[in-house]
Amino acid sequence: MFKNYLIIAWRNIVKNGVFSAINIFGLAVGLMSCILIMLFVREETGYDDWIKDKDRLVRMHTAVNIPNQPAFLTVRSAGRMMEAIRDYATNEVETGMRLIQWGTTVQHNGEGFAEQITMVDNSFFNVFALPFLHGDIESSFNKPMDLVITEEMATKYFGRTNVLGETISFCCLGGNPITLKVTGVLKDLPDATHLDANFIIYLNPAMFGENDNVLNTWSSLNVYTYFKMREGISVEQLQDRINYWLNNESPMVNMLKERLGDAANGLQVTDTFQLNVMSVPDLHLNAKNDAGNMGDLTPMGDQNMINTFVVVALLILVIACINFMNLSTAKASKRAKEVAMRKVLGASRTQVAFQFLSEAVALVFIALLFALAATEIVLPFYNEIIGKNLQLMLFSDPYLLVSLCLVATAVGIGAGLYPALYLSKYLPGHILKASKSSESQSSAKLRTGLVVGQFATSIILVISTIVVYSQTLYSTSVDVGYQYDNKLVLNIRATGDNLDSLKQELLNLPQVTDVAFSSESPTQDNENNNYFSLVEPNQQGEKLEPLLLNYHHMDYGFFESYGVNLLAGRFFDKNYGTDAITQLPEGHEGMGKASVILNRAAVTKLGFTDVEQIIGKTLVLNDHELTVIGVIPDIHFRSIKFGIRASAFLLDENRFRVANIAFQSNDVSGLMDDIHRIWKQQVPLQPMNLQFLSEMMAAQYRDETTTAQLLLVFSALAILVSCLGLYGLSAFTVERRTKEIGLRKVMGANVSQIVKLLIWQFSKPVALANLIAWPIAMYAMNSWLEEFPYRIEQWYLLPICLLVGLLSLSIAWLTVGGNAARVARKNPVHALRYE
Amino acid sequence: MLKLHNLTRVYRTEDVETLALNNVNIEIAQGEFVAIMGPSGCGKSTLLNTIGMLDSPSSGEYWFNDENIAGYSEAQLASIRKRNIGFIFQNFNLIDELTVEENIELALLYHNIPSAERKAKVAEVMDKVGIAHRAKHMPSQLSGGQQQRVAVARAVVGEQKMILADEPTGNLDSVHGEEVMEMLQALNKEGTTIVMVTHSPAHADYAKRTINLFDGSVVTENVRAA
Repeated sequence: MFKNYLIIAWRNIVKNGVFSAINIFGLAVGLMSCILIMLFVREETGYDDWIKDKDRLVRMHTAVNIPNQPAFLTVRSAGRMMEAIRDYATNEVETGMRLIQWGTTVQHNGEGFAEQITMVDNSFFNVFALPFLHGDIESSFNKPMDLVITEEMATKYFGRTNVLGETISFCCLGGNPITLKVTGVLKDLPDATHLDANFIIYLNPAMFGENDNVLNTWSSLNVYTYFKMREGISVEQLQDRINYWLNNESPMVNMLKERLGDAANGLQVTDTFQLNVMSVPDLHLNAKNDAGNMGDLTPMGDQNMINTFVVVALLILVIACINFMNLSTAKASKRAKEVAMRKVLGASRTQVAFQFLSEAVALVFIALLFALAATEIVLPFYNEIIGKNLQLMLFSDPYLLVSLCLVATAVGIGAGLYPALYLSKYLPGHILKASKSSESQSSAKLRTGLVVGQFATSIILVISTIVVYSQTLYSTSVDVGYQYDNKLVLNIRATGDNLDSLKQELLNLPQVTDVAFSSESPTQDNENNNYFSLVEPNQQGEKLEPLLLNYHHMDYGFFESYGVNLLAGRFFDKNYGTDAITQLPEGHEGMGKASVILNRAAVTKLGFTDVEQIIGKTLVLNDHELTVIGVIPDIHFRSIKFGIRASAFLLDENRFRVANIAFQSNDVSGLMDDIHRIWKQQVPLQPMNLQFLSEMMAAQYRDETTTAQLLLVFSALAILVSCLGLYGLSAFTVERRTKEIGLRKVMGANVSQIVKLLIWQFSKPVALANLIAWPIAMYAMNSWLEEFPYRIEQWYLLPICLLVGLLSLSIAWLTVGGNAARVARKNPVHALRYE
Repeated sequence: MLKLHNLTRVYRTEDVETLALNNVNIEIAQGEFVAIMGPSGCGKSTLLNTIGMLDSPSSGEYWFNDENIAGYSEAQLASIRKRNIGFIFQNFNLIDELTVEENIELALLYHNIPSAERKAKVAEVMDKVGIAHRAKHMPSQLSGGQQQRVAVARAVVGEQKMILADEPTGNLDSVHGEEVMEMLQALNKEGTTIVMVTHSPAHADYAKRTINLFDGSVVTENVRAA
């Protein structure tokens, strides 16, 4: 019997070519969207699942909430926290470990290679039991000079994996070159991990030389802190214990009192300072919420983006299912005779329903084959957009194969159930008696309702796409307060004492107009924050407690090079000779002197409304008195996604990490070659890291751009599938109304009147869909926009809705108009005879 | 074989109530050949559909093989129908997407008959009605007469005890019409009960008894002399 079902299903598919093509195409597009999203979601949600005891591992993040300032969030913590909490929460914590990632150069065979090394406490492998290829946990990492590398690095530098005993030279750690012997080789870590650990070495305080506050600190947030919890302990239990420690036993209790004085009364430490633990398997998707504008060890995922695209993929699938339901029930009358005959010959309603359900499932499986082929074709482009390397390994991945078969069956049942029940309820006596229409008023109404739902969904997607695109464009077009075109950013960490000669050589290039050093370039934000004390009373005559300001170090000429305006005072000027911070000689008594430039937000925070009034005032930072020499506007040093912070700009040559190179040239690749040549001369054996600032700026909006691009693609697919459905439905309706159209023409109607009549019939559901979609889309997009401190005006949504409304109606008219015109032009005599 | 007692069928829409069958009392014995005649709209097809269990009476009794099936569910009726009754329609009602042999086989699909046995029965009945050479053709490739022969084959392949024919010659020319009538007569001689609706007095003459309907009621019954 099943064979009979398949035969008739196949012949119906072939016979109703257009309807079948619309159904298969729509379902294939829906399934392809699902497969693409499924591959993405599976990888994103599977991060770190492979790590042994993963559910007992947590990382501790820091949040600082200063009133009237954007919260300062980071996934790092202070160097002394791990030991303190590990030793305090002994019932909860089995062991702990700190991790610092450090950019360095591996020097091998006369060449330099930029690499990240991972410095960790010796308990690293007790927390992360990574699998060893050569060596083992006990013997490979128990001495300060031990070095564990991955299989990939062993192969890269030695061409083989068993490299125990080989040496690798790094330049430099703590300013000194160091050569370490390989004591262990790890199997390569899977792609789906938040860890980036190719070279693992001991975290040795001596390596940081004078920068003692990298590790020995309660406030400087430089390390990633991990704990392995004892068995049976939950994340919440550990969190409670940490909170108790913070509020009652930690040094932060006194620090709060010292910083806030009387204002600390009634406050708990956790009101302004939190240490939040997050389960390691949750890090990839949820660390973003704790990371502020700073990154993680590896690029972070975004749970919201995943949720959005899961919903979008399901919506496209639902739209395709609606097509199937609509077209199946619309052409049900064509199958009515068959249903009736089967029932006459003894088929029960269940058997007939099962037949139609089988047909639906078979059709979905045909669509699945097309979807898989299409996925293979589009996967490279998709990977490019989302920056992944996803692969469709269907036959080596039984889980995926079974999942897809289940999805296809579920879609088949979802799409086929209503038509199956609808078709199987026909009473044979009614159908066979005459060529009576089997169409009921209620099924026509339901179809219209489904078309409304389909278009409303598509319209919401299109409006969302336009809003996301507009916001992304807006973000990149906001005046950030400086000029970032024609700028190159060169990492100068490895230059050592060659800074001045490097600068001079670069300035000698005819294309280079300026070179200015700084601790960071725009977009690079290491969240350097410190407490600054205003010595004098502020404009209101108040004496302030020390205030937390964000700070950067800028060279002479930096602001001029970037075209930053000056609101008051002056920029750094070498001629004054008093602007730069200098290292105080040992035994020096009293404070050093230097200058500081503030942004407007800092001036406001310090209690000045008139920027001129703060010029000449003194701020104390550590062992220096800083004279305020200038005020600049609130430039967006970091992405506009994050608010403006009160910032101070200092000048300490020892803190310079990048060279900001301004250029005027059409031959950019020639310029890059010239810079590379100079770099090779000045800093041999060190790889060059040179980037366009404009690209760094664009990278800040990569997530939004990716979301916008994917939304564009998926909403275009949704509209296409909806329109195909509408086309099929209109073709069917026009066919059904052939007699009516013929009669109208006999009565004197012309072609345009007929076309208008039919177009109006289909305009109504699309117009209704708009009215339903607009408020939903406006609400959703308003909520989304609220995340952005700088966003497009809310009233923009209305013209966007109107535009999409017009667009959707136009598309519907074009879709329906062709069918309507074709039938309307027919000779009415033929139409009537045909009927 | 069957007995209708005070059987009434009323069709209702929101505004209109139509009495299609009004207190019909009919008895048909096993092996009879009965023709039902009457003007258009008199209830012939409704009567046939009710006898064939495709439609249910609004009131009255329908005894089939000593069972009153008037209140039976659709599934119960389907079960009795498929074991006992074959149908032939004026417009053939062949399934356009199936070949001749597949159309005939369809009548056996719901009887749990093994595939090989089905094929044998289909081949046998196709020979019987002279359509075997068209076994692989689609209905659209056949003449009206050939299509009706396929319909007859489909009606008898399950060895049903009764055939209900609704104007079986209505869409055929006189030559093909006669062919079909002869086939029905031959089936009747083999013991199959035939109930046929027709407008043609000539074709009604093939039957042993003619029931005349008017406005849903039986007005006369004529029994032909042997």
